[in-house]
Amino acid sequence: MPRDMEQYLRPGLTSTTFCPGCGHGILMGLIFRAIDELKLNMDEMLFVSGIGCAGWIPSPHFNADTLHTLHGRAIPAATGAKMFNPKLTVMVISGDGDLADIGGNHLIHAARRNMDLTVICASNMVYGMTGGQVCSTTPAGAFTRTTAQGNPYRPFDLCKLVVAAGATYAARYSVTQPFALKASIKKALQINGFCFIEVLSPCPTQFGRHNQLDTPVGTIKYLMDKCITKKRAKNLSPEELKNKIITGEFTNGAD
Amino acid sequence: MAPIKQVILCGFGGQGIVLAGTILSQAAFNDGKWVSGTNSYGAAARGGGCRAEVVISDKPIIFPYVIAADMLIAMYQTAYNKYIARVKPNEGVIIYDEQFTPEETKGLKYVGIPATKTAIEELNKGIAANVVILSAAVEMTGIVTKKSLKSAIEEIIPERLRELNLKAMDIGFRIGKMKSDQIH
Amino acid sequence: MVRYYLSGNEAIAEGAIRAGCRYYAGYPITPSSEIMERISVRFNEIGGVFIQMEDEIASIGSVIGASWAGAKAMTATSGPGFTLMQETVGYAAMTETPLVVVDVQRAGPGMGQATRVASGDIMQAKWGSSGDYQVIALCPWSVQEAYEQTIKAFNLAEKYRVPVLLLTEEAIGHLRERIDIMKDIELFNRKKKAGAAPFGTKERDGVPPMPTFGEGEKLLVTASTHDSYGFRKTDDPLIHDRLVSRLNEKIINNREKIIDYEKYYLEDAKVVVISYGFTARSSLFTVEAMREEGEKIGMLRLKTLWPFPDGLTRDIGARAKVIFVPEMNKGQVAGEVRKYASCQVVSFTQTNGEVIYPDTIIEQLRRHL
Repeated sequence: MPRDMEQYLRPGLTSTTFCPGCGHGILMGLIFRAIDELKLNMDEMLFVSGIGCAGWIPSPHFNADTLHTLHGRAIPAATGAKMFNPKLTVMVISGDGDLADIGGNHLIHAARRNMDLTVICASNMVYGMTGGQVCSTTPAGAFTRTTAQGNPYRPFDLCKLVVAAGATYAARYSVTQPFALKASIKKALQINGFCFIEVLSPCPTQFGRHNQLDTPVGTIKYLMDKCITKKRAKNLSPEELKNKIITGEFTNGAD
Repeated sequence: MAPIKQVILCGFGGQGIVLAGTILSQAAFNDGKWVSGTNSYGAAARGGGCRAEVVISDKPIIFPYVIAADMLIAMYQTAYNKYIARVKPNEGVIIYDEQFTPEETKGLKYVGIPATKTAIEELNKGIAANVVILSAAVEMTGIVTKKSLKSAIEEIIPERLRELNLKAMDIGFRIGKMKSDQIH
Repeated sequence: MVRYYLSGNEAIAEGAIRAGCRYYAGYPITPSSEIMERISVRFNEIGGVFIQMEDEIASIGSVIGASWAGAKAMTATSGPGFTLMQETVGYAAMTETPLVVVDVQRAGPGMGQATRVASGDIMQAKWGSSGDYQVIALCPWSVQEAYEQTIKAFNLAEKYRVPVLLLTEEAIGHLRERIDIMKDIELFNRKKKAGAAPFGTKERDGVPPMPTFGEGEKLLVTASTHDSYGFRKTDDPLIHDRLVSRLNEKIINNREKIIDYEKYYLEDAKVVVISYGFTARSSLFTVEAMREEGEKIGMLRLKTLWPFPDGLTRDIGARAKVIFVPEMNKGQVAGEVRKYASCQVVSFTQTNGEVIYPDTIIEQLRRHL
């Protein structure tokens, strides 16, 4: 982390608990840069997270008010804080298991209410902290600790889900697309209403090692190969799009 | 009037039993009495058995449910059958809607009120029968003052239905006056 | 003083407003919904924040967020919803988040009888979440007390930074009675001290000051084991033990100040009825009737169920011949009384969805006298 971003880090912390090759540190740095470029005052911001590796991105690292909630309940707690004090800029940062599985109903309803929150879902396509079990975002066929013969189910398309529920802004980027991702975070912070960004983040420890992606570089390459922009996807056949993840904005408030 | 008066109102869900009980207890409150009102109802908002209980006293009420009813206002046969056993023996008064003919218990006093019939004929609203029968009971027994009954209706009933219910109240008073010599 | 005629549920809503509650989140459930309905109307008039959430978990979850944003916040529910909220009750105990949960108890278990009465959640209130923690639980016996105890619940939540549960019953929630509202009511607001540790204190009461989001305190709120500034310490045995002990002791050591009760004819009583909630009204009716017949009978009415009045029960048990505990459950408080009373304890239980009538209690007492 460059020196000028240190002001956003809670003093006294020496290192993160993220594994080597984890993408959550890249995401954390990009959130700081977005806040820095927008010149937001961290004292007027609240960061809410749930349980899981991604829940540790803001808590304890962010030098601001943080609320580390029960598993799946980050969005209700963020809703309560925002409703009572609308002056707070409230950002939810949590994982795919937390926001989409156990907390999925809250995600849908916050989008329906168009609650003025920025929700960043750090998706590593697996339950990382509990040891690598299948998640609702795990690709079909992928191997995990609970899908030894490959995941029999399709993954959730979270952007489609929140768009259908009424989100004002929905986008998906990988940490391998840092400039687009940072621009997206900045946009979401400036738009009123429910803003959702699904951030694909590599997990070599729990996802990679069960799927022949043993090295951090391997999982980064996997994401770079799998993610294609909306623009590029337009010119590809359904056959070519199979197993690809389309990134970009799916609704941007102006639609 | 005895220091404690206990009333049970009963019928089926949708007849306005709970509302009638609330009006009666609010009227007693407006009279400056100690009063408690309770209801019993099932999960269905329409149909099914339904009862309201009102206890009126000059002193604080320790046990707020009816122990033995001085008055039973019954709007439906099955409800009457269910609650008749809770009326004070040899003293209690039963005021029933003439929609049905109760099998009378010895020692109790009975008076039938054509509540539903009159509400349909004069107001074209069977739903107002609850206020008709309650007002007739008030006229006959003086359990609350007529003035307080009126103010209770005005406080509880929403504006768009207020006039209808006040008309039903006047009809009830008229029938009560007519019937007060027919208590048997 | 102003006099009103209200239901218990309406009085709870009014009591909350009087106590300064300005955030309410809830989910419909019989027989508690009238609290939420009245709050939703009244908050429009007075400027509170009301939201109907997608379930009970979200309701109490948003109350957590609102409380840290500075609100006196509340939710209300009944048995099955109370169960869904339990994980967050534990979260509130661990993070020392002041909040009030009203449980208008109905006949369980499961869906049970939604419109019928019981007091079956006494133990759920104490032990519903994981681990060792303390809550405060109050239990009103009238509409007047439903109003007063709701205010008290907020005061205690703010004072001790603890979830406070108002364990009322369908029979009180739906009972209409007249209540007198006093002009001067004492209200307590959470202690604040800029820069102080929000999760640790050397003060004797064991309650640290509580900052609010947006004050620049850079709060770290977590229900993982944490040090006095909120840093997660999930493998330090000493910090875990110290935190759990303080969370328990700040309630247990202050229990004499928290516990409230009422004594009736206890001076010479050989038979003592210990009663709470609606049932205490049947009990008092019975006790007064039997006193008139010359029986040496008295009654203790519990207004606080948790923390349990252990010392008081011990004293009464040392002087009485028999303690009689009538309850609308299978003996949840009787079991607690047996823990402390040395005399014979008779439990009378009724779980038919109806209130216990005085003649039932008289009949049972005669059998044991």
